[in-house]
Amino acid sequence: MGPEALAEHLNRVLEGLAIDHPIGTRVTNLTRLSGGANNETWRFTWHETPLILRRRPFSAESVENLDGNILGLSLVDEAHIIQLAAEAAVPVPHIYTVLETSHPLGESFVMAFIPGESIPQQWLKAGAFSSARKGLAYECGVALAHTHTVDCSQLPQSIKPVTLAHRFDGIQRRLEIFGDVSPAMQFGLNWLIDHAPEDVPCVLLHGDFRTGNLLVNEQGLAGILDWELAHQGPPAEDLGYLCAHVWRFGNIEKPVGGFGEYADLLAGYRSIAGWAPDLESLKYWEIFAALNWGLVCQTMGALWHNGSGDIERAAVARRRSEAELDLIYLIDAWGTL
Amino acid sequence: MNERDDSITATNVTSLQLLQAVKGFIAETVIPALSDRNQFNARVAANVIGIVQREQALGPALSALDNAAFSQWIPDGAPDQDVVPQISQAIAKRTIEPDTAFLDYLKQRQLLLSAINNPRYANRAAAAEKWHYLDTDTNSAEDTR
Repeated sequence: MGPEALAEHLNRVLEGLAIDHPIGTRVTNLTRLSGGANNETWRFTWHETPLILRRRPFSAESVENLDGNILGLSLVDEAHIIQLAAEAAVPVPHIYTVLETSHPLGESFVMAFIPGESIPQQWLKAGAFSSARKGLAYECGVALAHTHTVDCSQLPQSIKPVTLAHRFDGIQRRLEIFGDVSPAMQFGLNWLIDHAPEDVPCVLLHGDFRTGNLLVNEQGLAGILDWELAHQGPPAEDLGYLCAHVWRFGNIEKPVGGFGEYADLLAGYRSIAGWAPDLESLKYWEIFAALNWGLVCQTMGALWHNGSGDIERAAVARRRSEAELDLIYLIDAWGTL
Repeated sequence: MNERDDSITATNVTSLQLLQAVKGFIAETVIPALSDRNQFNARVAANVIGIVQREQALGPALSALDNAAFSQWIPDGAPDQDVVPQISQAIAKRTIEPDTAFLDYLKQRQLLLSAINNPRYANRAAAAEKWHYLDTDTNSAEDTR
């Protein structure tokens, strides 16, 4: 669907919403933002209100979370999660309306535009963000602790509690489907199975809580984006994921997302939750995140082989070796094989 | 090897030199002429050629390493088939003891692979320093960009 047709459909949707506008208002400044692998993100203005449209431009027939594809949640479920997160005091955009697959726009939702910088290479370096960076690890801990308070009985059906054993089985299956090409990833999976935590609580996780999904302004954390990989799991998983080497943007000496320290992240978490995972369990999930990134790279390669995506996808497949290096490096540093 | 030979008698152009020529064309002509997504993809294309160049240089060492590991840990394997999946499958079946000798093989393998695919990955330098005792010479194909 081209931008003009998109704007026409949006006009009809927005006329019915309680966003201040005179009669005859039309969508202006419609711009496609660089989006994720699965969804389109558009920015536009409705009278004086800047808004965001998230839409899935194709019908996602088999959306299964964490079990073999990277599509993640449906947009309807993602919107639902964002609304639950908002009620739990997590900084997320207000959702104005959610549209089902049968709508001409396809499955989509309209949300508030939060001003801020979402490109890590900008806010990780620029002097204007230096004070924001100082408090950010703590704020991430706070936001994750709030996320983890969401009542799991309110979650959509697609987010079921999943045992670690079930996830390990799914990963093993994917390694086999992808041709057993990575001894390092198989070694990493064995290690993760052998060192898996027992009796961990199961909470709502953001599931993709990394530097690239933070919206930052000069005061600090302004918003948390992209909830499509939300799932249930142990709290330490979200914290460890943020600390994975691959999301540090080259600043490997700053363990929290390339900008912060472990102690600040954990202190922020503790300030809300009253407890925090220990550092060792965070590091376990860093190793898990490395394996996960390797699987994402493999999936990108598989999608490219199936004729979907451009040269970037083919190139990302080769970034698997980053994940493999991290796996071996971190397991070696852990000290027990 | 990638430098143009000034000698008037040099007529052969190796595949590595052809790749260098394509990479130079992308960097000097294509990237400046494009914008947005296409420019981004052209940068990716130049990087991809770098991967192929480095794989040409280091691929044989990687194969030799994998074949040696295969002989050592999978004596009853099928050497006429791909050895790497057989190594992965043996790890999955836990028929290979995950000891330091095997870990050293995986370290060497990853140093080679990351030297091919992304020599500028930040953690690679840390790993290379920590694992210096393995004495792998993966810097010979250092990024030529």
